[in-house]
Amino acid sequence: MKIAFLKKYLTNQLGLIGLGILIFFVVTAVFAPYIAPYDPDQRYKSTDHPNSAHLLGTNHVGQDILSELIYGTRVSLFITLFASFVSAFIGTSLGVIAGYFGRTDFFIMRIVDLFLTIPRLPLIIIIAAFMRPSVWNLVFVFALFEWSITARIIRSEVLTLKNRPYVDATRMFGAGDFYILGRHILPNVVPLVVVQLVLVSRYIILAESGLSFIGLGDPTAKSWGMILHDAFEYPTIFISDAWMWWMLPAGMCIVLTILSLTFIGYALEELVNPRLKLLT
Amino acid sequence: MHMNIITKVVSYVLIIFIILSLNFFLPRMMPAGPLSDSGITSSNESVLEEYINYMVNLVHGELGWSTSRNAPVWDVLKESLKWTVLLVGTSTAIYVIAGILTGAVSAWKKGKKSDAGLLVLLISLASFPPFFLGMLFIVFLAWRLDIFPRFGAQTLFIDYSTPFGVVLDILHHLILPAATLTLTSIGVIYLLTRNSMLNVLGEDYILAARAKGLSEWYIMRKHALKNALLPIITMVALVAGFVITGTIFVETVFAYPGVGVLVYEAVQAHDYPLLQGAFLIIALAILAVNFIADMVYVHLDPRVREE
Repeated sequence: MKIAFLKKYLTNQLGLIGLGILIFFVVTAVFAPYIAPYDPDQRYKSTDHPNSAHLLGTNHVGQDILSELIYGTRVSLFITLFASFVSAFIGTSLGVIAGYFGRTDFFIMRIVDLFLTIPRLPLIIIIAAFMRPSVWNLVFVFALFEWSITARIIRSEVLTLKNRPYVDATRMFGAGDFYILGRHILPNVVPLVVVQLVLVSRYIILAESGLSFIGLGDPTAKSWGMILHDAFEYPTIFISDAWMWWMLPAGMCIVLTILSLTFIGYALEELVNPRLKLLT
Repeated sequence: MHMNIITKVVSYVLIIFIILSLNFFLPRMMPAGPLSDSGITSSNESVLEEYINYMVNLVHGELGWSTSRNAPVWDVLKESLKWTVLLVGTSTAIYVIAGILTGAVSAWKKGKKSDAGLLVLLISLASFPPFFLGMLFIVFLAWRLDIFPRFGAQTLFIDYSTPFGVVLDILHHLILPAATLTLTSIGVIYLLTRNSMLNVLGEDYILAARAKGLSEWYIMRKHALKNALLPIITMVALVAGFVITGTIFVETVFAYPGVGVLVYEAVQAHDYPLLQGAFLIIALAILAVNFIADMVYVHLDPRVREE
């Protein structure tokens, strides 16, 4: 028993660490204009080494890298969170409709299967390449393709929920579909939706950084991946010491965000489904 | 059994058809589209005729003209394909074997230090975008320590004294890109094997095998791993899809001359026919892997067959 408690404490620790990192980045994103020392578009002496004026130096066109990084937090997190909220919303709605109202089930699930089988990231890349690169377009393509897993998971949960005895009892008392949905079904799928939200965010930030890295990001609102794109395009990035202040910070921000979402995801998943305990 | 296979085949055919159609309509749907410089000449054919022509050309391997390479797209792709196959093949073999082994070890040593260590290490590695891990490898292993080549798949302008030298050189160039792909994708297989093993190890027949006095190693090999492997097959296909997509980023970072780096080049040069060709190859490869996994799964698991 003691060991079990210890392990539970440990995993909750992970969840706490993850939440801490995420809150740090969210605060940075929200207060970016107050934290950043410069306007990220302002140009100074180009490819400057770190100095007292520019703590992380400047990039190839003379923009302050620290300010870029702080504003980049905004762009990366905005795309990630907005797109995952939209896809969670679409996925949950379709999952609930398919699971609860049997008539639409077959039709919706065939579409879900289709979206699950299609190679999504290559498709996202090619669609993004044909659209003008902008933050909104990225949000759009990610939201369009990442809802299908959520829909499937929510549907199977709704299928088991709607046949529970207490739901039958409520129905027997004359409750309508919308009452049952709002009172018994939706509150019970919320924990699963939250887990999905975290997992999808984790995937989207990884994919977004990749898309920006190959040059499909918004050049007017640089995300972390875009900073890495600039750094990678700089001819002497690996030879000189520039990688230390240009490449490493942006990359580590992405890694830390993904790690924090992973931790939060595991902690949540364990709460929702204790059988999935990671460190048993 | 046959019903199941037929529905699968039909859905895959449908998806391939959708992808081919998307590839046709995408350039035509975009408002200020790149049609003008995409090599698709406007003609007075109707869209339907163009569409039929496109499909017929595809069957003949006609994918258009690459504007940046100034060559037929198919020729460019053909040159690159072997490198991507080598890279993806090697990485897949390594992450499947290593993932299953580490997962099994972790489950076996559940709760011990080696389990916790593997867990933390592999989950942390899974948090690295492939291109960033690759860039770190280049900085430290290729430039600072200088023990690996910095780019490409072969040393340029070199005369090999023996054929063995060629193989060695290619392998030398392969190590870092393959390591990047393997390390960033091993986590999924590892976690799944670990979970699956933990479930199986709790079964009664394992207890029975222990009671019979069989050795731990024998139980592991013959009773546990065999049954734990089933759910892993589907996941291998999923991760293979992830790895095939990942080559886009990894090949870019290492300037490895495969299909993936073509995506990067095409995006930089606005070479849309090349981009579409590379997309088609990548998408079809992922679908093929998934399809094979589905079929293998049906073959292996009698429960799916009887459904």
